[in-house]
Amino acid sequence: MQTENVIEIRNLSKVYRDFWGRRKVQALKSLSLDVKKGEVFGLLGPNGSGKTTTLKLLLGLLFPSDGEIRVLGKPAADVDKNERIGYLPEESYLYRFLNAEETLEFYGRLFKMPAEERRKRADELIKQVGLDHARRRQLKEYSKGMTRRIGLAQALINDPDLVMLDEPTSGLDPIGTREMKDMIIRLKEQGKTVVMCSHLLADVQDVCDRIAILYAGELKVMGRVDELLSEQDETQLLTSRLNDEALAEVRQVLERHNAKMLKVGHPTASLEDLFLRTVDESRARPGRRFMPGEDGAAGTPAPAPAATPES
Amino acid sequence: MNRLSSRNRKVVYLVGMIVLLVPIIVLGMPAASGEGSGGYLARLRQEHDLGETSLGEVDPSSATMNLVLLGLRGVATNILWMQLQEQKETKQWFQMKATTDSITQLQPHFLKVWQYHGWNLAFNVSAEWDQVEDRYYWVKEGTKFTMQGSRRNERFPELYWDVGNMLGKKIGRSDEWQFFRRFYKSDPNTKLFEGGPDPEISRFGASEFEDNYLASKYWFHVANDKEESQAQHIMMRMVFRQYPARAQMDYADALQREGLFGERTGQAWAEAYRDWTEQYRTGDPGFGQEIFYTPAGGVRLEASEADMRELAKKDSVSLRDKRTWTSRYQDIVSYRYWRTRSDAESRGKTEAAHREIFEGQKLFREGRLLESKEMLEAGMEKFASLLEDYPSLTSDDGFIEEGLMAVLYWRHIHTLLEIPFPENFALRKLWEKEAARIPSLEIDFRRDNGIG
Amino acid sequence: MNFNPLPYPIGQAVIFWLILFGSVTGIVLAIALFTSLVARGLKGPAAVLGQVRDFAVDMIRLSPRRVFALSSLTFKEAIRRKALLIFVVFALLFMFGGWFLSGTGERPDEQARVYISFVLRVIGWLTLPVVLLLSCWGIPEDIRARSLHTVVTKPARRNEIFLGRFLGFSAVGSIIVVIMGVVGYFWIVRQTPSDLVARVPRYGDLAFLDREGNPGRGVNVGDMWEFRSYVEGATRARGLWRFKDVYPGDNPDEGLVLESRFEAFRTHKGDMERGLLCELSFFNPETELRVRHRPFQVKEFSQNEIKIDRKLSMYDEETNTTKEVDLFDDLITDGTLYVEARAIDPGQYLGMARPDLFIRMANRPFYVGYAKAVFGIWMMAILVVALGVTASCFVKGPVATLLTLTFLIIGQGFREFMDRMVFQNLNNVLAGGGPVESWIRLIRHMNPQVPMEPGVSTSIIQFVDARMFDLLWIVQHIVPDFRHFRMAPYIANGFDVNFESAIVPGLAVMFGYLLPCLLLGYFSLKLRELEAK
Repeated sequence: MQTENVIEIRNLSKVYRDFWGRRKVQALKSLSLDVKKGEVFGLLGPNGSGKTTTLKLLLGLLFPSDGEIRVLGKPAADVDKNERIGYLPEESYLYRFLNAEETLEFYGRLFKMPAEERRKRADELIKQVGLDHARRRQLKEYSKGMTRRIGLAQALINDPDLVMLDEPTSGLDPIGTREMKDMIIRLKEQGKTVVMCSHLLADVQDVCDRIAILYAGELKVMGRVDELLSEQDETQLLTSRLNDEALAEVRQVLERHNAKMLKVGHPTASLEDLFLRTVDESRARPGRRFMPGEDGAAGTPAPAPAATPES
Repeated sequence: MNRLSSRNRKVVYLVGMIVLLVPIIVLGMPAASGEGSGGYLARLRQEHDLGETSLGEVDPSSATMNLVLLGLRGVATNILWMQLQEQKETKQWFQMKATTDSITQLQPHFLKVWQYHGWNLAFNVSAEWDQVEDRYYWVKEGTKFTMQGSRRNERFPELYWDVGNMLGKKIGRSDEWQFFRRFYKSDPNTKLFEGGPDPEISRFGASEFEDNYLASKYWFHVANDKEESQAQHIMMRMVFRQYPARAQMDYADALQREGLFGERTGQAWAEAYRDWTEQYRTGDPGFGQEIFYTPAGGVRLEASEADMRELAKKDSVSLRDKRTWTSRYQDIVSYRYWRTRSDAESRGKTEAAHREIFEGQKLFREGRLLESKEMLEAGMEKFASLLEDYPSLTSDDGFIEEGLMAVLYWRHIHTLLEIPFPENFALRKLWEKEAARIPSLEIDFRRDNGIG
Repeated sequence: MNFNPLPYPIGQAVIFWLILFGSVTGIVLAIALFTSLVARGLKGPAAVLGQVRDFAVDMIRLSPRRVFALSSLTFKEAIRRKALLIFVVFALLFMFGGWFLSGTGERPDEQARVYISFVLRVIGWLTLPVVLLLSCWGIPEDIRARSLHTVVTKPARRNEIFLGRFLGFSAVGSIIVVIMGVVGYFWIVRQTPSDLVARVPRYGDLAFLDREGNPGRGVNVGDMWEFRSYVEGATRARGLWRFKDVYPGDNPDEGLVLESRFEAFRTHKGDMERGLLCELSFFNPETELRVRHRPFQVKEFSQNEIKIDRKLSMYDEETNTTKEVDLFDDLITDGTLYVEARAIDPGQYLGMARPDLFIRMANRPFYVGYAKAVFGIWMMAILVVALGVTASCFVKGPVATLLTLTFLIIGQGFREFMDRMVFQNLNNVLAGGGPVESWIRLIRHMNPQVPMEPGVSTSIIQFVDARMFDLLWIVQHIVPDFRHFRMAPYIANGFDVNFESAIVPGLAVMFGYLLPCLLLGYFSLKLRELEAK
């Protein structure tokens, strides 16, 4: 189960060219990564780092300049794979003149599913995303949050095995964000694979099993979120609240073992730190794969599936 | 404000549209045929004689078309002209008429266009058709078209004159004149007009329009009225102004050509004489009483020596100059000839001469030779004395040919009856003087009577 | 435009289409294989063939359900974008249309012609811009708004997207055409006082005998229009018609009704009170039997109906008796009827062209002909939709609109000119040379008859002109002939719309373009990245 790859990307490059075929931007440079079945995978990166490009290459909306992609064991350009894929675009690019019911009806018809089931699922999804009160209103009258929700509903209409979410929480209020994250976790619980890209780090940290950080079209960091964020040189004790005496005693014990108490408080290590460090490092030393362990911390990120050539 | 639902708002819009349409229809509907019809604006326009910058009647459809075309009127007109040319080449006459209408809708105040198309319909298209009834239909189309143009351009005399010319010359003088004149009084489209005239060109059969030439006279009159405030550009002013009187003469002449003699013809000629020299029945001064300006000042064609002297004094030019210019102007329109002619024709003797010669010829064709001979002799007698009374008529082609033809008939009767041709006869002087014309007239005579 | 419906050689057309389509496809494929081989080595041709295979697979696995979903989406989109507001314009035109159409009250048939042409023109002019704009902006707008992303990431195939768009816009066009057609019908019927029918003509072939009686042509009496040939009266000149498939109708006692529309030309006044006389005679070349029919007066530019009884009497000169002849049994063999037309008046001429004499079959109701004419407009709208959707698959909205509009204008307005130019060029009868040469002649005030002085520059000019004509030839073969959809002349002239010479070519043109459009649209969508730039 762990070994089954839902997505395999090998040496993927993408060059945008202008009308005359001249090279304009290299959006992706030799990207290789795998996404395993049942995991929530996050693609991170600043604007223009290539994460949306990667997603669109996976969906066949863009064609790779070089390299290979297999999604659900099929090439990205294959239409049949779409039967098992759900996609939520960055902004919900839906048909604004349709209402919620018509939207789900329309997208549902594009899949091979009986009419009965289609109607049932549409009804369920509308309720699930909390649009029951607005099901007959045209999408152009929807608020941003409502549009995201109907977008998610259309992505799930076919009960997909693989869900791709482009900035799923952008534009949502805290409650909406929470609901979206719960939904993603629920999808994972249902055994679905989720690939999302985002720059809202807290969200990624909360839901993703593994992440990849891209910068300027290059893969900089990849690994399990818990591993990437754990500081191996430090030990964190979590106790119930201690009074001052007890604290002093603990300090003594530590001194005896030649250790120092660095900080007393609540753990705050976050993905944000990692992200910012990665970006800073990439700016300082372009072209190098960033190793979180290098600057003192001896973290070993999960090895990349294929050797990524340095620079 | 926003309490209305989307549907209700749409209903309000719809109602608003309908409400706005009502005044458009009430105000803007164009007049159909006849007075007092059409929308309020159309009626007002009729009432107050108003038009597009007072040039003439405005057709709302024409104005709309120009509005819709924005600035592309010129392009559209060019395309229509090309289309017209093609339709003409491929003989699609009705479509061509429709194109013509469209062109004039786009350019309602372009006189030349009206003139050109009116002429084209009445003369060219008409001639393309084989049956006389069809030809007459197209003459009418051309005339009606020009009438329409005159209404759109009320201030200008040209198109009125054109209508007069079509009603007069085209109907009364073309090859088919005998048919056309009959059709004018009783339209060949009996289904529509029930044997009566076409009301559009004969003003519903009003008595002043009972004959095409009288109708023509009316239109020439109107043209003259317009001409007093707006100069025309067709011909010399004096020539232009003679037409109402000339139409009256044509009318009288046509009656004669058709063999209608008697009081009516005489009266027609008498009226022609009055129109020419004294005064129209409408009270307007007759043609001869009008003053025309020459390098020697104003001249009046009907002028005695005393009148000329007075005018010369007024304009301070010499009497000789005045006389020369008067005479020159008289020559241009053959003033003296028409004066004499209408005077002579209005006399009972002339009428009798014409009638007897005409009757005599008719009797000949019926084979009643002896009666014909007698009738012709009586006619020739009166004809000879007529020529003596009005010597200037001896240089008139119509009179010369009428006299010679009478002699030819008379001579042929002698041949047929095998009696000698007398040495002396009433028109001998004319016969000898105009001997050169005889051979060609003889051909006509033989052809008309089927003599090999 | 002369009204001369010729039968359409559908067999030839299909073969020609197959050749053209096959060779163009072949050339494109060959170029693709070659360039891909050069660019990417052996992998290239494999990819090209893979695309071809994909097309086949996509066509086989085409799902009507998805096409229906996409087309109903398209339909809803058009309706909600207020495409049907066009009916307001339509209603206004009809409410006030009567004001603009001046009446030639004396000729009800001509009035009907004006109304019919008006209605059909309005339907065409209102429908075409709407479907053109809709179809040219649909897909580009979809790409721009990226709503297409949510569709192509579902299992919707590119051909399904193309077909869905095409069918959806076609449905919009159909609704507009049908509603306008029905309203227009009642409008015509209400405006026109006389009863309208669709006459059904059966045309034959025409040959001429000259004044000596030898096969040849008639005379040109000076018309620029060479449509009619003139036959001189009281000579041996004849117009000879051959009609095929003439059989007795339902009522065996009935003969035939012929209709003629000859033109008269007089060289002298003649008898003005009657029209020129024309005599028809029927003869059977097998039995040498010849029956002269009673002469009739030619009434120009209108319908001259001639009733031919089944039993005809003829005077037999040999026996000096009158005998009776049966039209169908004695004069017609194998359904073929020969009719001779001659002018009787000496020195006068009758002008004849093929459609000037025909057999009148039983009339059809007016709405039949009218419906067919509206069908013609419909086919045109469908073709415009196909072209528009195709263009919108590879260029953006404004460009697609211009492109389709250009096709429409060239295919309708410049077709005749283009055909003439190409014909003259191929037959070396083009006066004044090609565009560059003509231009130089214009500037230098050179007569088109004067040859260009030989030299390098002339060779260059002629070479460029020749390539221009090649280009024109290509355009002529690519741009659809929209004239085939013009059925208005039929019913405006009071005829039924002929199936073989009007409906068949219309259908042929429409279907002839659908497959190439589908191919082009499919590959344009498939081979381009749908990311808006």
